[in-house]
Parts: sequence; C-alpha cells; structure tokens
Amino acid sequence: MDRVIVYSAINTKIRILERGFLSRQDYSNMLQMTSVSQVASYLKENTSYRDILASIQTDKVSRRDIEDTLTTNMIINMDKLIYYFRGDYKVLIRSLYLKYEIEDLKILARSIFNGKKAEEIESSLSFLGKYSKIEPERLFQAETIRDLIYSLKGSQFFEFLIPLVDGRRENLFRFEMALDTGYFNIIQSRKLNILSLDEYLIKKWEGLLADLYNIQWIYRGKKFYQLSPEELLNYTINFGDRLHYKERQRLCYSKSPADLHQMTSGLVYGFLFKKEEISTDIYMERRINRFLFYKLKILNKKFPLTIIQTITYIWRLEMEIRDIISIVESIRYNIPAEEIKKYLVRAA
Amino acid sequence: MSVEEMKVMGVIGPKNILNGVLRRIILQGSVHMIDAFSRVYSTDFFLPPTERNIEVLEEEPNLKPYSERRDFSEEERIVNLFHTLFDIEPYLSEDYVNEDYDYDRFMKQFFGIYQELQQTEQEIEGKLGEIARKKEYIDNLKYLSSFNLEINRFIDMEYLVFRVIRITRENYDKLKKNYKNIPAIILKVAAEGKNVILVSIAPETLEETLERIYSSLNYTILPLPQEMEGTVDVVSEKLRSSIEEDQKIIESLKISIEKYKEQYINELKKMHSRLEMEKKIEEVKSKIALGDKSFFMFGFVPASRVNKLKGELEKYFDDRLIILIDEIKKPYSGTTTPPTKLNNIKLFQPFESLVKMYGIPSYQEKDPTVFFALTYLLIFGAMFGDVGQGAVLLLAGIILEYFYKKVDFGGILNRLGLSSIIFGFLYGSVFGSEDILPALVIRPMSNINNMLITAVVLGVMLILFSYMIGIINAVKEKNIKEGLLGENGLAGFLFYLLLLYTVFRVFVLHQPLVPLITITLILLLVIILLKEPFGSRLFHSGGDIDKSFKKLSANDYIEEGFGLIEMLLSMLSNTISFLRVGAFALNHVGLYIAFLTLAKMMKSAWGNWTILVVGNIVILTLEALIVFIQALRLEYYELFTKYYRGDGIEYVPLKINFSKIINPKTGV
Repeated sequence: MDRVIVYSAINTKIRILERGFLSRQDYSNMLQMTSVSQVASYLKENTSYRDILASIQTDKVSRRDIEDTLTTNMIINMDKLIYYFRGDYKVLIRSLYLKYEIEDLKILARSIFNGKKAEEIESSLSFLGKYSKIEPERLFQAETIRDLIYSLKGSQFFEFLIPLVDGRRENLFRFEMALDTGYFNIIQSRKLNILSLDEYLIKKWEGLLADLYNIQWIYRGKKFYQLSPEELLNYTINFGDRLHYKERQRLCYSKSPADLHQMTSGLVYGFLFKKEEISTDIYMERRINRFLFYKLKILNKKFPLTIIQTITYIWRLEMEIRDIISIVESIRYNIPAEEIKKYLVRAA
Repeated sequence: MSVEEMKVMGVIGPKNILNGVLRRIILQGSVHMIDAFSRVYSTDFFLPPTERNIEVLEEEPNLKPYSERRDFSEEERIVNLFHTLFDIEPYLSEDYVNEDYDYDRFMKQFFGIYQELQQTEQEIEGKLGEIARKKEYIDNLKYLSSFNLEINRFIDMEYLVFRVIRITRENYDKLKKNYKNIPAIILKVAAEGKNVILVSIAPETLEETLERIYSSLNYTILPLPQEMEGTVDVVSEKLRSSIEEDQKIIESLKISIEKYKEQYINELKKMHSRLEMEKKIEEVKSKIALGDKSFFMFGFVPASRVNKLKGELEKYFDDRLIILIDEIKKPYSGTTTPPTKLNNIKLFQPFESLVKMYGIPSYQEKDPTVFFALTYLLIFGAMFGDVGQGAVLLLAGIILEYFYKKVDFGGILNRLGLSSIIFGFLYGSVFGSEDILPALVIRPMSNINNMLITAVVLGVMLILFSYMIGIINAVKEKNIKEGLLGENGLAGFLFYLLLLYTVFRVFVLHQPLVPLITITLILLLVIILLKEPFGSRLFHSGGDIDKSFKKLSANDYIEEGFGLIEMLLSMLSNTISFLRVGAFALNHVGLYIAFLTLAKMMKSAWGNWTILVVGNIVILTLEALIVFIQALRLEYYELFTKYYRGDGIEYVPLKINFSKIINPKTGV
C-alpha cells in the first residue's frame, strides 16, 4: 500500500475540517465576553460551530450544553475520519476513542463516589461506550464504584478493574489508576499491520506522551499522595521515548520535588517545572499540553503523508474544546481575561 | 365478495362480569375492538329506551375511560420461577382458560407455595455458592502442592503473613526489577496465560506497606481455606468430601421441590395461559368506557361470526348483557372505518401477503387478490417457463409450507412453480434444455418477435382490465367524478383505447388518421384537464359550485397540465413495460445457451455435467428471483396504480394465539 493512496483523501478531508478551527481573533473576542450565553452566541454566530449550535438557545445555555455539543461534534468529525481508513488503521483511530472514554469513565466514577446523580454531572460524557461498546445507560445506573466495575463487564476494561472488587480497594484512586494502566496496556499490546513509518511515528508519539505523564505522575505522587517509591514506580507507564526503566526508577526514588526537578532538567523535560511556580503545579498540565501542541505542529510539517496528520487534527480539536470550556468556566467565575490566558493551551 | 362484510357489535353489562366477558370475547377471537367513546358519541349510536336499557342509558353521559393499569410483574416473577423450578415449558392452551375460574383466587393459592419454594431455592443457591468456594480453594491449593507441609501452619503464622496472589506478567516484571526494595519473600509458583501466581511471606509489621505495593500491581488474593489442618492433599480431600455432602443436601432439596411439582403440576401448567389471558384483558380495557355500574365496549365483527359470538355470550351471561348489533353506516370515517378482512379461497390466499405489502384494501374497495394472483401467476409463468426448474420451485414451496410452516411464502412459491411447469410444457423447456420435450405452443428463442408482441398485447389487455376494475371501484365508492373524468377513469380508459387504435391504424395498417378520432382524443384530454370544474358542475348541488371554482387557481391548472403529460408518458411506459415478460422468457433460454456452450467446451463428461448443474442453479436462483421481483413490479406499478389504493385498515381481531403443537417433554 502506498502512502499517497492511503493519505491523499484523508489529508484533503483534514484540511477542510481544519478550516473550522477558531482563529486568534476568535479567542481574544471570546475573552472579552462577560457571560456564558454571550460566548455561546458568539460561537453560534461567528464560527464554524454555527451548524451544531443552531438548535441551542443561547440565553439559557449551560456549560454542560456547550460541552455536550462540542464533544458530539468532535465524535462526528472523528467518525468522518475513521470512514477514510481501512483495516488496522481503523483500529488505531478507534483507540483514540479509548483515551476519551477513559477520561469520561473517570469523571463518572468521581461523581458516583461523591454521591452525585448522573444528570447532575457537569461534563458531557459523550464518549462513554464509544470504544467499549457498552451501553452508556448501563453505566449511568451504577450507584457504587463496584456497580460501575460490573457494568463494564464485556469490555476490555473489565480485566483491569475486576481485581479491585475483592477486598478494600474499590476506591476512586485505584479505579483511576487501574484504568490508566489499562489504557497503556491496551495500546501497547495491540499489533497493528500499518506502514512502518506510521508505526515508528506512533511509537515515538506514544512514548513522548508516556514520558510526560510519567513525570507528571511521579511529581504528583510525591507531592500530594505521599506514595512510596515502590508504589510510584509500579504505577508508571511501562514504556517511554526517553525515560527508560532506570531513569524512571531514579526519578521515583528522588527525595523531594526539588530533587526531582533537578533530575529532569538533565533530561529534555526540564521545562515542565518552573522554579517560581513549583508550589502551584496547576500549570504543569497546561505546559504539557502546550508542549504537545507545538510538538504536533512540528511533526505535522515534517511528516505530511502520515498518521500524524490525523492525530494532530484530533488533538487540536480536543484542545480547542478544552480551551472553550476553560473560557466558559472562567467567565462564570469572573476571572479577568489576562488571568484566563494562563489556563489556555492556545493563548490568544 | 372477497372483503368480508362487517357489523358493529356493542356489549353493555355490569362491571363485575367485565373480565369474564372479555375472556369469552378473546377466546372467540373475532372482535376488532374500537374505542368505545368514539362509538357512543357517534351520531348513529342508538340504544332503544326500553325498560331494560333505561338504567344503562342513565349512565351514558358520565362514562369514563378505564385508567388503572394493573401491574403483573409480581405474578410474572412467580410464574417464571415455577417454570424454571419445575421445568415447565411456557405453553398457551385454550383448555386452561376455557374453564370458568376467578383469576385472583386462582393466583392467590400460589403465593404461599411461592414463598416456601423461594426459601428452598435460596438454600440451594447458598449451597451452590459454598461448593463454588470450596472448588476455588481446591484450585488454589494446587499451587502449593509442591510444599509437603501442613498448610494451616502457614496460614496461622503469628508474626508473618502468608498469601497466594495473582498479578499480570507485566506487573511481575516490574516487581522483579525492583525486588530489592520489596519487603517480602516472593516465590513464583505458576504462570497461567497473562498472569503469574506468587506466594508471598512478609512480616506482619510491614503488611500495610506491602498491601499498598501489591495494590499498585493490581493484585488478586487467592483465598485459602481457614481452620483446616493437614497437608495440601489432606485438606483437598476434606474439601472434596464436604462438596459431596453439599451436593447430597442439594439433591434432597431438589427432591422436596419435585414433591411440590407432583402435587401442583396440573394447576401450575395453567398459570402461564391464565396470566397471558389476564394481560390481554388489561390491554383491551383501554378501549372500554366505564360508567358507575356498567361497561360499554364495541367492536367490528365479521357478519358470518356475529351469531356465534352472540350465542356464546348469551349462553354464559344470560340476560345480564345488552348486545347491540348494528349495520355499518356510511360514510366511513375515523375510528368508525370498518377494518378489512380478506376472504379468499385457499388457492389465492398466500397472495394476500403480497397485496398487503402494497396496502390493505379499504372496506368498500374490491379486493384485488384474485386478479392479482391470476395475473401474477400468468406473468411469472410466461417469464420463467421451465418444467424442471418449476418442479424445483414447487417442491421447495411445498417443503416450506408444510415443514417449516412458512405458509405465505411457501404457498406463493409452490403456486409459482406450478405455473412455471405449465408454461414449461407450452415452451417445451426442461432445465433449460429444449431437446427433451416438444413445444406445445411456441419456442421463445425461434420466435423472438412473436414473443415480444404477445407480451405487449398481454400487457395492453391487463391494463385495460385494470382500468375497468378501477372504474367499477370508483362507482362503488360513489366517486363519480374520478370514475368518469379521471385519468384512470372512463375518460382515461377511452383515451387509451382510442390511442391504441390510432397507433395500430397508422403504424401497422398504414392508413391515415381519422379526424373524428383525433378530435375525440383531444377532447378527452381537455376533459381530464378540467375534471375539477366539470366535476363540481355536474355532480354537486348548486351551492358549492362557486366555491370550488374559486378554489382552483392557475397553479392547479399548471399542476393538472403536468399531470396530463405524466399520464401520457406513463401510458407509453406502462405498455412498453410489458415487453419484459417476453424478454425474460428469451433471457431464460439465453442464459441456458451460454452455460451449454461452456459445457460443450469441457473435455470430460463429468465437467460437462458439472457446468450444466451449476448453470441451472445459477439460473434457478438468480433468474427466479429477478423474475419474481419484475413480475411484482409490473403488478404494483403498472396495474395497481390504475385501480387500487390500498388505504384500508387491517382486521386485527382480539385473540390469543394458542399453541397447537403438543410438547412431548411436559406431555401437555
């Protein structure tokens, strides 16, 4: 199979879809808004979200409505792309659903844990069932984490979750950890029959992600959860682009966050920490996302006829939604525009 | 003739016998229910004010709908439990509901038994759970069989914690790599698929740390039996014998259930049928109107069954019921539109399903089934005339009809097969070969022109016939305007006839046009174009003429104008469409010739026959299917559009389908 054959159609499609991304001007316009409904009507009147927001009444809109519509749009666009792929490429793109479904499952588990009802959840959870093929209704009926685990029976997640059921370990933390481990396990164990350049890029990209998440995890585990180095190490993702086992072990056994910072600056990932902000790590995630955003831009230029194009599109779409929701959230809590920018992946 | 005449039957009686009455009605299975309110409030509803009726008449203004919805879930649960416990097949029998019984009293007797049984069932389940647990112990102990030690000494250690755990291979790798930091002695005892089994011994003081580390490896503890002494073999043996004991207890519990079964089986068998009947009765009640003391219900009943139903109701309920039987008043509208029950002789019955696929004839419309069946058989046979393949279809149809109970499809198939055989003799064709039989009438391939012309002539005849049925239907419905002036009415019919004559005269006889006919043709077109104003002037009384004139705007005339062009085109296409009847007859031979040529190219006799058999299978499946569809399209598109609307309501009587087959397992 030739790359040109595989990617000419899909790239054209992506170029068309990319036209729908918000411009910098859109960002700064939205930052000037003072209410959620203003943002909604701006999106409805001035952007490519026109059509999908058409049926929404902007004066009564909630954060959840906006997120619902935007993620539904994302699913529609992802489905459009899947349509262009054949064979194992379909499997590959579907495993992107996996990531989002796991995110949604975690949110659902958290609200079950906090005793919320399914309809009270603020996020949209539109991805539930997209990968696992489990009816979302079944998941929403769960009243405890245990119920939730059993309602996932028949999906690929079940085998990772079932050990939690016996004994004292059905808590939220373990649930989330088991899902995350499950995610990387699933994507590592799939055998894909795809072009070798694509395989290389996927491996590189997923390794990069694993590195970043591992560092973030070790940092948080040390700082907030006070986990022992052994536990930390066991929970790390078992592969990486630059962080191999030895380095991971070294990081896990570091004595303090400052010590950890010291170690990472020797690697390429020192940028994740900023000295003056080391106590407020809410920006770490944003730094990761910004790094990924620009990394993808570079990869995109470098490898035009590859799977990276599709991955970039989907990630950018996700980040855009994330940004829009951040803006909506911040406006709701009256945060000034300059301050909001600090949370956005694509600052205006 | 073939749409059954209906009557409206009303039943009014005291509320306390409502369920009984409904049960009888369902058993009779001949009433198509209608909403009681729409009947009571219709203009032609009349209850003679005799002495007997006077009480009921007083209630008439205060009727209410039946609003309760009875919940049968509890009863369903009980019935299901009995069925699984006693191994009873759910089976609907008329005998069980035909007896005189009170449903609630009947059901009540089971509640007590249900509770006792539920307890026994729970005991059994508990024992089964224990057995499963003990089996798990035995399985887990197997991992320790290499240690020839008393296992209770491991389990009961005071300062050390002993456990058997399972983790995935990957996590085992992680554990191994970081072993120097793990506060436990770990021994791998087995590897199974994705997982490995480990034995771990650790000081109790470090238990919490270890537990967290194991948790981070997503482990599962494999439980071991507590308080049992001896080596692995001894303990396993003990467990096995205890499982046997449990099984004995289960057996004895099952026997006690059996006793219940013997005692109550006859009553139990009735439960399912009676519950289903009760559910059906509840379902119907939404269409019933209730007064303070009486109920009102109405339905359409085929005229032929009215007396039987009336007799039955009178037999069971004497004079407690008021039974009204009314003719149906025209015009039909809304809920009072009578349903259509098709009533054809057995030969044509299967074709009803094909007619219904297009639509149910309305009550006053003529049932097209007979005409449809005859023409369909004719067209199919003509297109697919083959003695051999027809016989295959006939056989397949008979098998489907009698062995697989696909009455409709099987019935159609064997009739089509028969028609195909007949035409096969006319064409002299057996499995495509024309060498075996002499042609009684014609060989399609040697008379191509004749075949095609005959097909068109046949088509013209069928179309003319359709026009006539259409006109008769319109007259029956008193729709004189469409019948006389419509494009599918008399005007259209005459136009088509004259047009055919003109074409024949000019192109076949090569004679000049007759001016009178030409003028008539144009005149007929004008009539069809102006049928709305003409129609209202001719067939309506004075008042609404102006109105209907005003209603027609220029747009309507444009629309009618296009309608006219469409009519001309479709006359042409409808006629030419029938060419396919001839074409497929040729096609059948043509396909065979192709396979025959291939067969002759084969060197061996064996190959020769294989090709012919394969060819025949291809022809039989592919061509039969195509011809089936093409004939259907000719019927639907070319003929039905002329005379058939199919906007009726199907007659769906209230009934339960009782099983007819005797079940050998339960002996019912």
